[in-house]
Amino acid sequence: MTTHERIPVMEGLFAETAEGPRLLGSRCQTCSTPYFPRSAVCHNPDCGESRMENADFGPRGRLWSCAIQNYPPPLPARYEEPYIPYAVGVVDLDEGLRVVARMSVDDPDSLELDAEVELTIEPIYRDDEGRDVTTWKFKPLQPGRS
Amino acid sequence: MRDVAVLGAGMHPWGKFADRSVTAMCRVATEAALADAGVAWRDVEAVAAASSRFSGGKGWGLNGNDVVEEMGSTGIPVYNLSAGCAAGGNAFNIGWLLVASGAHDCVLVVGGEKMPKGFIQTSGLEEDTDPEHLRQLCVGMPGPTFWAALCRRRMKDFGTSEEDLARIAVKAHRIGKHNTNARFRQEFTMEDVLGSAMVSYPLHLYEICPVSDGAAAVVICSADVARKRTTRPVWAASSSVATARFDDGLPRGLGTVVPQAGPTCHSEASLAVGKALESAAVAPTELDLVELQDNTVFYELAFPEDWGLCQPGEAERLVEKGETLPTGKLPINPSGGFLCFGEATTAMGVFQICELTWQLREQAGARQVPGAKIALAQTLGLGGNATAAVLKN
Ligand SMILES: [Zn+2]
Repeated sequence: MTTHERIPVMEGLFAETAEGPRLLGSRCQTCSTPYFPRSAVCHNPDCGESRMENADFGPRGRLWSCAIQNYPPPLPARYEEPYIPYAVGVVDLDEGLRVVARMSVDDPDSLELDAEVELTIEPIYRDDEGRDVTTWKFKPLQPGRS
Repeated sequence: MRDVAVLGAGMHPWGKFADRSVTAMCRVATEAALADAGVAWRDVEAVAAASSRFSGGKGWGLNGNDVVEEMGSTGIPVYNLSAGCAAGGNAFNIGWLLVASGAHDCVLVVGGEKMPKGFIQTSGLEEDTDPEHLRQLCVGMPGPTFWAALCRRRMKDFGTSEEDLARIAVKAHRIGKHNTNARFRQEFTMEDVLGSAMVSYPLHLYEICPVSDGAAAVVICSADVARKRTTRPVWAASSSVATARFDDGLPRGLGTVVPQAGPTCHSEASLAVGKALESAAVAPTELDLVELQDNTVFYELAFPEDWGLCQPGEAERLVEKGETLPTGKLPINPSGGFLCFGEATTAMGVFQICELTWQLREQAGARQVPGAKIALAQTLGLGGNATAAVLKN
């Protein structure tokens, strides 16, 4: 089996750390507001002083809602031909951050709202140079693992 | 602030017009509005126009300048307003302020748009720093899928069914078929709607609005001018603009904060409507009709509740009982709405003012809300923009 080189769909948004996959964001030390992607300044209008530090988010969260992308999305989204519908989710992370994401699930119809989910980094398509382009996804936790 | 009247309203029909420029369509709407107002082009003191993203405007959104050149350059000031799909409402707000402030006595508000085919890219940028671009590149969640996610949360919270959603599309076409300016004028059965292509569960093709070409214009004026021209003026009692709150939890871009209090909603729309009702001294329950931005049937359920027009979780039953028809307790989108017109994005805010004006003059024919006296219009646009206006007769 050939293994293909993996490249992130965008640098600086997520990483495989020693503790597992994480989203790369920031948090304001004054008001605790979480940001993804990283933000140089705090945008909370009620925050007295922007004091930003890098923060990793994930892996656990709760599926606030989800939907299935039944039709091939317009650019700049990319996908493998032939097109197979994928699921997207809105996930509330334990750190108070709400993020949008692809869902990692064999049967998109099986997703349940409010389910516990876990961050993973997986390919979304193979580029012209044969590399697997990856993004962040969430997958439902297996029963008994939470 | 001075009283502001809507003196004239005009529309170019909505549809697909391959051989007609957006400026030519705006001219049709403008001439109709001027004729309806009994005002000559020479009498227009200023123009507030929606900046189109897709058509005309010299590529700079200078659509108001196009209209002035088309009608005859008289040297008047032109304001081109950009607010995503809320641009038409934004232009109305600036026109309203120009009259209310005393700066001008007679102002033309105009919006026109010709849309590209198919599902549009939300963002106009391909830059890695643009949140909307990143969202589509990294996740791939176009508008209809975003609406579906909002809708599925509602289904979980309130038990909304697919039939509840389909009923709204059936209602829209039952009314919209009477509107000669509408693009889609056929009636749909529940089976038609539920049998149309699944765009993103639970939303079918007939439950989201397609894109269209269209143009609308209104002439607004001071009370002195209005009383010289008509014995039954329609008053624009208020006009408001708002942007989204930081903490409303709506998943824009890649991430936001989980809201600490209150439901997730389009805070920009709630804020704009709240301001418009307050400054018109109108209670939500006093509204005789509402034209709201129904990009999807979901918004006909969520918005009335967000704005206090009915109780949370009540909207489905109002639709089921026919209360959102023109003859009901809470008529919503008697024009047929975006579902029957299709969205000519930046023109929609002016389209709504036209419909409210005709309703308040009792000129709406078979879609007339009987005895309509107080009406609300609302738009929503990219960037967290929203507008609202209250009209009275
Ligand atoms: Zn802060």
